[in-house]
Amino acid sequence: GLSSARAAEILARDGPNSLTPPKATPEIVKFLKQLVGGFSILLWIGAVFSWISFGIQLAQGAESAFDNLYLGVVLALVVILTGIFAYYQEAKSTNIMASFSKMIPQQALVIRDAEKKELPADQLVVGDVVEIKGGDRIPADIRLIFTQGCKVDNSSLTGESEPQSRSCDFTHENPLETRNIAFYSTTCVEGTATGIVINTGDRTIIGRIASLASGVGNEKTPIAIEIEHFVYLVAGVAISIGVLFFIISVSMRYKILDSIIFLIGIIVANVPEGLLATVTVSLSLTAKRMAKKNCLVKNLEAVETLGSTSIICSDKTGTLTQNRMTVAHLWFDNQIYSADTSEDQTTQPFDQSSPSWTALSKIVTLCNRAEFRPGQENLPIMKRVVVGDASETALLKFAEVILGDVMNIRARNKKVAEIPFNSTNKFQLSIHETDDPNDKRFLLVMKGAPERILERCSTIMINGKEEPLDSEKAEAFQTAYMELGGMGERVLGFCHLYLPENEFPDTYPFDTDSMNFPTSNLCFVGLLSMIDPPRSTVPDAVSKCRSAGIKVIMVTGDHPITAKAIAKSVGIISATSETVEDIAKRLNIPVEQVNRREATAAVVNGMELKDMSLQQLDEILCNHSEIVFARTSPQQKLIIVEGCQRQGAVVAVTGDGVNDSPALKKADIGIAMGIAGSDAAKNAADMVLLDDNFASIVTGVEEGRLIFDNLKKTIAYTLTKNIAELCPFLIYIIASIPMPIGTITILFIDLGTDIIPSVALAYEKAESDIMNRRPRNKRKDRLVNEQLAVYSYLQIGIMQSVGAFVTYFTVYAEQGFLPSTLLGVRVDWENNAINDFEDSYGQEWTKYQRTYLQWTGYTAFFVSITIQQVADLIIRKTRRNSIFQQGLFRNKVIWVGIFSQIGIALILTYGLGHVTALNFTPLRFQYWFVAVPFAILIWVYDEVRKLFIRRYPGSWWDKNMYY
Amino acid sequence: SLAVKILLFYVIFYGCLAGIFIGTIQVMLLTVSEFEPKYQDRVAPPGLTQIPQVQKTEISFTASDPKSFEPYVKNLEKFLKDYSADQQTENIVFQDCGDIPTDYKERGPYNDVQGQKQVCKFKREWLENCSGINDPTFGYRDGKPCILVKLNRIIGFKPKAPVNESLPPEVMAKYNPYLIPVHCTAKREDDADKIGTVEYYGMGGYPGFALQYYPYYGKLLQPRYLQPLVAVQFTNLTYDMEVRVECRAYGQNIQYSDKDRFQGRFDIKFDIKSS
Repeated sequence: GLSSARAAEILARDGPNSLTPPKATPEIVKFLKQLVGGFSILLWIGAVFSWISFGIQLAQGAESAFDNLYLGVVLALVVILTGIFAYYQEAKSTNIMASFSKMIPQQALVIRDAEKKELPADQLVVGDVVEIKGGDRIPADIRLIFTQGCKVDNSSLTGESEPQSRSCDFTHENPLETRNIAFYSTTCVEGTATGIVINTGDRTIIGRIASLASGVGNEKTPIAIEIEHFVYLVAGVAISIGVLFFIISVSMRYKILDSIIFLIGIIVANVPEGLLATVTVSLSLTAKRMAKKNCLVKNLEAVETLGSTSIICSDKTGTLTQNRMTVAHLWFDNQIYSADTSEDQTTQPFDQSSPSWTALSKIVTLCNRAEFRPGQENLPIMKRVVVGDASETALLKFAEVILGDVMNIRARNKKVAEIPFNSTNKFQLSIHETDDPNDKRFLLVMKGAPERILERCSTIMINGKEEPLDSEKAEAFQTAYMELGGMGERVLGFCHLYLPENEFPDTYPFDTDSMNFPTSNLCFVGLLSMIDPPRSTVPDAVSKCRSAGIKVIMVTGDHPITAKAIAKSVGIISATSETVEDIAKRLNIPVEQVNRREATAAVVNGMELKDMSLQQLDEILCNHSEIVFARTSPQQKLIIVEGCQRQGAVVAVTGDGVNDSPALKKADIGIAMGIAGSDAAKNAADMVLLDDNFASIVTGVEEGRLIFDNLKKTIAYTLTKNIAELCPFLIYIIASIPMPIGTITILFIDLGTDIIPSVALAYEKAESDIMNRRPRNKRKDRLVNEQLAVYSYLQIGIMQSVGAFVTYFTVYAEQGFLPSTLLGVRVDWENNAINDFEDSYGQEWTKYQRTYLQWTGYTAFFVSITIQQVADLIIRKTRRNSIFQQGLFRNKVIWVGIFSQIGIALILTYGLGHVTALNFTPLRFQYWFVAVPFAILIWVYDEVRKLFIRRYPGSWWDKNMYY
Repeated sequence: SLAVKILLFYVIFYGCLAGIFIGTIQVMLLTVSEFEPKYQDRVAPPGLTQIPQVQKTEISFTASDPKSFEPYVKNLEKFLKDYSADQQTENIVFQDCGDIPTDYKERGPYNDVQGQKQVCKFKREWLENCSGINDPTFGYRDGKPCILVKLNRIIGFKPKAPVNESLPPEVMAKYNPYLIPVHCTAKREDDADKIGTVEYYGMGGYPGFALQYYPYYGKLLQPRYLQPLVAVQFTNLTYDMEVRVECRAYGQNIQYSDKDRFQGRFDIKFDIKSS
């Protein structure tokens, strides 16, 4: 090995043997981004204007100057607090992931200074000699110099699920293909090996793929685009109304300073300050709900992306399937039997009365080296850990389920000799004593590749009797073999022979090297076929996807036949649809003559894909609704994802291997497997499936769609009262009435009473089966569309304003200012020097008395908006159905929202009514009810709207009123 | 035609809303009396205000320059127009309430069943040097400015004469059981010597508001109501410096507040320049 000194030198030159983590944005930059994102800029402008007018007024010596200072401070605080909140939310969801990336420091056995040493793997350098044994992770890219039965699992790198044997022989030019290189981050499954480190850290194959992944740009999530669109829309409205009224007020000869203050008010009224925080909370509530259903969301916005997904590119192994071989079919007595392949099987229902089965079960039990790890007696059989390869494990569990206690049976049938499976023989053989004390014969059992086993047989067991293996019986075997193989299953043949007692007495020395026992003219007993069966929840999930308009594409490294079989059994290829090849076979014509359009399904081989142009790929993706990509390399996955995205689809991709990470990143939503997934895949993904189950994706889709609908409702709810906040300013400017509502009061609505109700809408149940409609078209189905804005702004918003103004005029009239008196009074009303301002009855008011009345007006306006927002909240529960269909009390959180809203309003008016700075005053109780008729009107009007939408679908009403 | 449909919809929609708005406002107005407001908790207790009011509460002029005090004089003149003798000739409207303070004059319920209510006369001559009859500049040309003090009108409000113990000694001297006395002092104690002599002119020489002028019955029932005035003349103000003066009205139901500096009192700044 290397000397420590030399190793240290190289370490200094090359750096540690670890992957450079993706460059993280500095925390402060993340935070500052929150401070300028969204509406923050508008609010900053408002704050700066406030300070400017404070400065000017201070210079002029006006008494009210400090109001503007405070307003500016409050606005800045709002921005900073919402910024901190958003930052905290983001940090929280990032932290969930941090736990994933935390790896246990890996150790490597290295020879340094001619001694074996345990070193942390990141200290390895090029030239180090390392030793590996079964179960280890390969600590770097190494060239093997000594191996003993070494097999590695390269699935995370190449996607091949079969362990591959490694040797010292150089077999291929391509480093990925050659046998004498083991790769960083793959695992050694069995055997031992010694090798020399040839690449470390980012220079390893994995490192190069990882850097490729970080090169793939992160696309904006659909919901981010929607929110941006919404922010632009609202900001556009705010700025245009602001500027318009700035011009109007200047041309109405208001002072520039006053006009600026109006502008601030208009901006504050227009900007839904609390909304972005609400959206974040709603998303994280959904994320929590999804986490409970085993979808862990890394990036909050991905919650919704899943809902708009239109294509899912799914892995087969582990995601659609159980990721374990299971016996699926048996053939004995010339008949095929199906076995139960579900996850939690406890019995097998097929007919077990035939003596052939008894013989077959004996071979299955005895000719098997797999064993249960001890100490698992209380676990269900299917969950027990087994030492042995996948097929033998399947057989062991199968036997255990039917016969019970296999280990005991084996103990009673003592093994006297054994030849393990090898690739030249393609069979496995063992010789046992029998458990029948009267039968002193030895039993030879053998299993292996069916055709090889058949070659060695001269008889075949039918109903427990040995019959000669004639051509007819051989034909029957062939048919069964083809049929099972055609289902994509791995088939094994089983045969046995009772060795005659006279030739093989008790003491006979069996020698496996010289094979001093018969290995031909055996008795063929039966076939067993195994498959990695689909998870039982998957077919249902796939059909749900289908009805939800989501195309499920299977992308697997597996064999096309197996892939197609699984695709058929889970419904990715439906029972009635055919591939081009199927049609050709049915019509008995060459493949080239088949009209490709007739085939709805397609199974595309990776080799074909390699030679395809982009147009050809697009054509396949376009023309076939059911597609399976088999034998694909993970690199091809990226091409497939890009192809889907070219169709305008929102693509979800599942993956677990390191080399899936570019595809995961490229996808609109990358879904990594929580159990089988590599860290690199989890890092690149937006979401982690904790149970690796495809069905969990579907529940995620459902949640994603629901949150999109509910965010629509939240936004509609929030936008409505903006008009009720804005109208006072506009009417104040135009009609010169006393100010109906204060800027601070507006902030108390936006960030006080409205917050909990708008979050409560996130708990609303779906109106109809959201899994029965097509995924939203990301170009057409906007989060905030014209209908939503128009209906909220120009209809409900105006109704709210009317209700609030009625309260306002009532308060003033009952205190002595009739509505007619109020018009045009602004200048005198706000003049500090006028302390004998005359009302409609001839009474005289001091400035402070007027101001106090004005605050009472603010409070009344505020209360009216709050009361009408209760109605607004109730009507927003549904967009199409009647509230009574939806159930008024089904979503309890809405009621929490309503009570919180009224509670906060009560506290503000009566509790804090004496704090001057807040501009609230205690309010006569009856004023709480002035707006109630308007609230009822809003409800009734909206019910009528929904009724017409349901009655006259497609009418102009439906088109313009449904948001 | 879709645009027309939508336009029509909004015309109808906003038409209905406007109708509902006007309708509810009308219904609300029906519940409000024309003669007295429903609530007065925001307007009472009354404010105390001064004439002249020309921007801010500040009086600044040069005695030798008539232009500099012209706005004040005009303001006073305009205000006192209604108080001239020739404006108070109609005996149906104006009642002679004597020239010594007496008790409140109740004039029945607050409605027009009995028609309009009479109001008490207030003779401008009572204001003597500050009446503008002899000196049309109200003392401003001599550097002895007059201000008029009035208690803000509040319908039905009956100010109660102060309890004697509570009054400062100077005010005690003016005590009368039917009088709301008015008294002006320096706002800051340091300025006490800069104010000089202060003269008070009011009804029959009483420096305050007599109770027979109350209660006020409102614009509709007493359109020509003359609220009682007290003229205050500062005859010896220090020139060339800002002097802050605070005037208060005293009464059991007249209160002062830190938040409302014009409730029951006001302060005014004098700045008389010598040249």
